[in-house]
Amino acid sequence: MSALFDECQLRCLAALLDTLIPPDDFPGAWDAGVGDYLQRQLQGDLADLGSSYHDFLRCLDAAARHLHKRDFADLALDARSELLHKVENHQITASWMLEPGKFFPKIVEHCGEGYYSDPGNGGNREGIAWQMIGFEVRG
Amino acid sequence: MSDYDAIVVGSGAGGGVAAAVLAEAGKSVLLLERGRALSFEQVGRDHLRNQRLAVYGHNAGPDIEGNPRTLDPASFPIPVGKQQGAQRILRPHEPGYQNNAACVGSGTRVYAGQAWRFMPQDFRMASEYGVPEGSSLADWPISYADLLPYYERVEWEVGVSGDHSSMTHLPAYDMPYPMPALPLPQKSKVHQSGLAALGWQSLRVPRLINSVGYNGRPACINCQHCVGFACPVDAKNGSHNTTIPRALQSGNCSLRSEVMVERLMCSGGGTVTGVHIINELGLRESIRADVVLLSCGAVETARLLLNSATAQEPSGIGNQSDQVGRHLQGHYYPGAVGIFPEKMYDGLGPGCSVATCEFNHGNAGLIGGGMLTDEDIVTPITFWKRDYPPDAPRWGLAAKQFMRENFCRINDIKGPVQEIPNPDARVQVNPAVRDRYGIPVAHLSGTSHPETVRTATFMRERAIEWLRASGAVKVWGQQPRQYLSGGQHQAGTCRMGEDPAHSVVDSFCRVHSHSNLFIADASPHVSNGGFNPVETIMALAWRTTENIVASW
Ligand SMILES: Cc1cc2nc3c(=O)[nH]c(=O)nc-3n(C[C@H](O)[C@H](O)[C@H](O)COP(=O)(O)OP(=O)(O)OC[C@H]3O[C@@H](n4cnc5c(N)ncnc54)[C@H](O)[C@@H]3O)c2cc1C
Ligand code: SF4
Repeated sequence: MSALFDECQLRCLAALLDTLIPPDDFPGAWDAGVGDYLQRQLQGDLADLGSSYHDFLRCLDAAARHLHKRDFADLALDARSELLHKVENHQITASWMLEPGKFFPKIVEHCGEGYYSDPGNGGNREGIAWQMIGFEVRG
Repeated sequence: MSDYDAIVVGSGAGGGVAAAVLAEAGKSVLLLERGRALSFEQVGRDHLRNQRLAVYGHNAGPDIEGNPRTLDPASFPIPVGKQQGAQRILRPHEPGYQNNAACVGSGTRVYAGQAWRFMPQDFRMASEYGVPEGSSLADWPISYADLLPYYERVEWEVGVSGDHSSMTHLPAYDMPYPMPALPLPQKSKVHQSGLAALGWQSLRVPRLINSVGYNGRPACINCQHCVGFACPVDAKNGSHNTTIPRALQSGNCSLRSEVMVERLMCSGGGTVTGVHIINELGLRESIRADVVLLSCGAVETARLLLNSATAQEPSGIGNQSDQVGRHLQGHYYPGAVGIFPEKMYDGLGPGCSVATCEFNHGNAGLIGGGMLTDEDIVTPITFWKRDYPPDAPRWGLAAKQFMRENFCRINDIKGPVQEIPNPDARVQVNPAVRDRYGIPVAHLSGTSHPETVRTATFMRERAIEWLRASGAVKVWGQQPRQYLSGGQHQAGTCRMGEDPAHSVVDSFCRVHSHSNLFIADASPHVSNGGFNPVETIMALAWRTTENIVASW
């Protein structure tokens, strides 16, 4: 369980991260541990972004329900990607403080950090991302 | 009565050499360092927090909290740190802070160890090129020949591997390097073919890294975590494993880390009598010595002199001519990244192996130039955050596939540009903002000279030319902009010269106004060459300290 997100938010977060780095023959972001990376960071260096993440997830679900009558996590990859493209292009706005299109690039950065940095940071489980791209650690 | 013959403040590149030369000459030496002595494990392998990619912190100091600096917002093209009043407050890992490191060994604990001699022309830039408007470009009061014996000592006693016969941009070497060049990785072979196609000089990058066992330590095991990290087998030669152990083994040197020198102690006349410190327990102490050497790095040496103001010298020690802290410079590092049809990556660290000095001098219409080299292997996250093509997909399956297909096919070429000093690029002290000890912090202001940006723009084009000649099918990289430089290659803030009206130290790095106060770091550099500076810093410190011993 998570100290930061409830069950519903976690489902949405997993779907979000797996849209940014989807599974193929190598794991997607969630299975590679990016969620663990992020939750660790949100209790550390990124502690002041917790509520922005909450807002963003809320916004995604609201938009998914409006457009597809379903939660974000229940959409197929294509529909999730399409929705995120809209967010990225500022076509989805929220009625609260957060501007989703402005926050989105930060999430993309965080997701990449979790996936491609060293496993010691909580993501890139067993160096799986490095295996995928061919980076080998010696010594 | 003095407690020591000499106190050396700062244990980095210059300070390590100073302590070794003094201690081996039989002088009692106290080496003081504000940072910690870091083990390999403490430096660690955090790809997001290191001295190369400092996203959330770094691994060789200073501590993120309690060591701020302030910056004039006009000095940087993007907002960095936090705005407070009219200035930005920066933490040590943030852009614009001009950090190198703070630990025993300082930058040499985690550096890449590129070991360059400056060229003879680099010591007489004003004579070669004239002085452009708005610049304080000047000749050094010493020449390449004056430093040559000390370059050789660094190469043999600290330990450099390389191929002297490939260094055709320099006068012929009298002594080869003590170790052969490191093995060539695949990407460097490709870049050699590019240089051959262009007809440009092609040399092997000399490095302070053991290619074979040397000085009782083993050869490099090609771990790829060279720049920004510590060496797992101690094959990288820095102050922490060469000069400082030598100083300690002599039995004449004590090293105290986690000690902050707050101010110089002055007699009121033309001498210093020691230093005031805040010790390991946070307590104030005063320590006396006959000679004091400052090796705090270009920003902190200037800060310490300015913070040592007395009634006789109200603007700071050595600052009668308002020269302390001015001419801050480092290296613009232009270059470009390319994508190649074939695999460039073979996992053979450290990586940076071939270079050209074709453009260090003699570029029509430019003042100086710079060296270009293939770089050390970048970690995947550094590639993803820093070297990623701006037009490639950033997320989705396409981005994942881009990383997968191209991480091993991408490579960069870049290099340091000889900066044209600007007297207004400077370090002052800011009494309104204090560090964790209550000491006024360094305030940074001014920017680079436009000639530096022009040279950098030219060098970026040459990097692109080289990448294309090596077979790159697509290249990208940022255009240089104007900003305050310094950073890991910081230099110039206490410049050397014969005339006290325009310099802080004389040709033996003695502070003009104080007969027993010397500077042994990058601060005396009048200009900073188009090369990574550490071998010159060490050589100059060697010459300075040998002269102190000789005239004791
Ligand atoms: C990641 C990285 C890679 C690098 N790669 C290369 C390379 O390949 N080639 C190259 O030529 N250079 C390289 N450098 C740069 C090189 O490390 C520096 O040029 C060099 O260390 C500067 O030497 P210095 O003696 O001027 O100061 P420093 O080595 O910075 O030493 C200053 C020391 O003084 C201490 N200090 C400061 N103020 C006080 C005080 N008041 N009291 C007590 N202690 C104090 C600091 O904590 C520090 O340890 C690299 C640096 C880094 C960080
Ligand atoms: S590449 Fe070689 S010298 Fe550099 S850290 Fe790794 S083992 Fe040490």
